[in-house]
Amino acid sequence: MYSLIRKDFLLQKHIVLLYIAILLLFSLFVEASVYVGFIFSLSFIMSACSLDEKDNINILLNSLPYTRKEIVASKYIGALLFTLLFVIVMYVGDFLVNGNNGLLLLKEVMLILGLVMITTSFLLPFLYKFKMQYLHMAMVGVVVIYLLTISFFIKNLHDVIRALTLKILALQEIQLYFFAMLIIVILYIGSWLLSIRIYERKVF
Amino acid sequence: MENVIELQHINKSFNGFQVKDLSIAVKKGYVTGFIGGNGAGKSTTIKLIMNLLQQDSGSISIFGMNYMQHEKEIKQRIGFVYDENIFYENLTLKEMKKIIQPAYKNWDDKAFQYFVDQFELPLNKKMKTLSKGMKMKASLTFALAHHAELIIMDEPTSGLDPIFRRELLNILHDLMQNGDKTIFFSTHITTDLDRIADYITFIQNGKHMFTKEFYKIEEEYAIVKGTLDLLDRETEQEFIAIRKTNSGFEALTAHKNRVANLFGDTVILENPTLEDIMYYSKKGGELYV
Repeated sequence: MYSLIRKDFLLQKHIVLLYIAILLLFSLFVEASVYVGFIFSLSFIMSACSLDEKDNINILLNSLPYTRKEIVASKYIGALLFTLLFVIVMYVGDFLVNGNNGLLLLKEVMLILGLVMITTSFLLPFLYKFKMQYLHMAMVGVVVIYLLTISFFIKNLHDVIRALTLKILALQEIQLYFFAMLIIVILYIGSWLLSIRIYERKVF
Repeated sequence: MENVIELQHINKSFNGFQVKDLSIAVKKGYVTGFIGGNGAGKSTTIKLIMNLLQQDSGSISIFGMNYMQHEKEIKQRIGFVYDENIFYENLTLKEMKKIIQPAYKNWDDKAFQYFVDQFELPLNKKMKTLSKGMKMKASLTFALAHHAELIIMDEPTSGLDPIFRRELLNILHDLMQNGDKTIFFSTHITTDLDRIADYITFIQNGKHMFTKEFYKIEEEYAIVKGTLDLLDRETEQEFIAIRKTNSGFEALTAHKNRVANLFGDTVILENPTLEDIMYYSKKGGELYV
């Protein structure tokens, strides 16, 4: 299973290096942010999935001595590892370039990880069930809903989100954090089990 | 004799296609040719054997183990060659090796290098630039580099030129000389099998027709040629299918000796090719089913 994660890394090693370079470059101009970490991690996870979604690659992976459970597990564990990698690079870069070692650090890392986990929880089962092209359609749908929301319903959505992010980061109650993390972990595991179920029934 | 692959009473239906009560056994240490027309269920059967598809009912055992409990052990010992490209297109063979190698416990780098040299495979060209024959050889190299005991090939010769086909058959022939490998090899180019197959398994419309030793097919089957007046309801029973023309008939029988006794010198008996058997079986199937 470890070799499957290694495979995702090998397949995208140029992209990884490119992302790391961009992240370091980024830190020259802006401070490390939850937003940047989230986008980079997510786009890496997505492209790992799109490389593997072709039928012939599924035939290869399933003909090698891996179980379908392991193939799914490699994506879920890989997602966390790659996110951590980018987050570490981002904050180390931020520290080296800007000398920031804010107290918020751990909280921000947790927030990025949490956001990636929530998004991945919805994305992966979707991708195992359908193909990437349907995801694009679904994304267009989401963007439409988003645009409708900010133009008609909640006009200051961005401010609300920004305020919410700050609020979460400012929260002191450890219990609340703990509770949120627990829910996210349960969501992640549930999504993992669902993906296994979908993938085990898949025909190539 | 030991069976490496055993399919018992397999049923599988999907997308309007059906495999019905399929039972196949593949003997250890031999080359089994797996024949059948397009849509006969060859690829489906191979996918079932590779656990890419799950059967609706029936049991599959490979090396005496089932996939439920021993998926990884089984696949450790199988090498596979498919008709289609199964590599990441933008990787080179060297990079593909980095991905495939860690999957196998028995990986032998020397063997890999040996076959790369022997097959003259380019290590640093992207897979998408390799010809079909090269990709097939690359698959075979991966299969041989982990010392697979069972090599499963789905139409490895389709789309290859005759020189390449013969080369592959020579390679397989050499493989069988040293060691206890088993090869299961689907094809619809039946002349490929003349040179290497010990057994022939024939399926049609998702049903197993027969598995026989190659030489026995020649002993049992015959193409019979004669004049139309020889045919009546009783004698027609002897044939799998009959093709009638103005000048006479041509038919396939599975009882060469009986037909020889029945008709004596009035007919000509010829050895059928596998293609003859496939053709007449399909014709017979249409007539009598």
